[in-house]
Amino acid sequence: MNGLTEQQAKEFHAQFKITYTAFVGLAALAHLMVLANNPWF
Amino acid sequence: MSDIAKPSNPNDDWKIWMVVNPSTWLMPILFAVLLIVLTVHTVVLQLGWFTWG
Repeated sequence: MNGLTEQQAKEFHAQFKITYTAFVGLAALAHLMVLANNPWF
Repeated sequence: MSDIAKPSNPNDDWKIWMVVNPSTWLMPILFAVLLIVLTVHTVVLQLGWFTWG
């Protein structure tokens, strides 16, 4: 397709999921802290 | 066209990287996310619900 082998695509996706989950986790934490400090609803 | 197998997600999610090459598109994707994040923060802060500090 675009030069990546199946193995590479699966490896990259595994890391992508980890990093994205961490990003969402941190964003959720930040939103909870704002909510605790300065509730907007 | 209709004989192409439908993907079953999330099991086949990884196949996106067989089409979108991350060595080309990972940074543009991350910059797009940054642009969205900065835009949303700017708009929300202008709502006046929050004061910074």
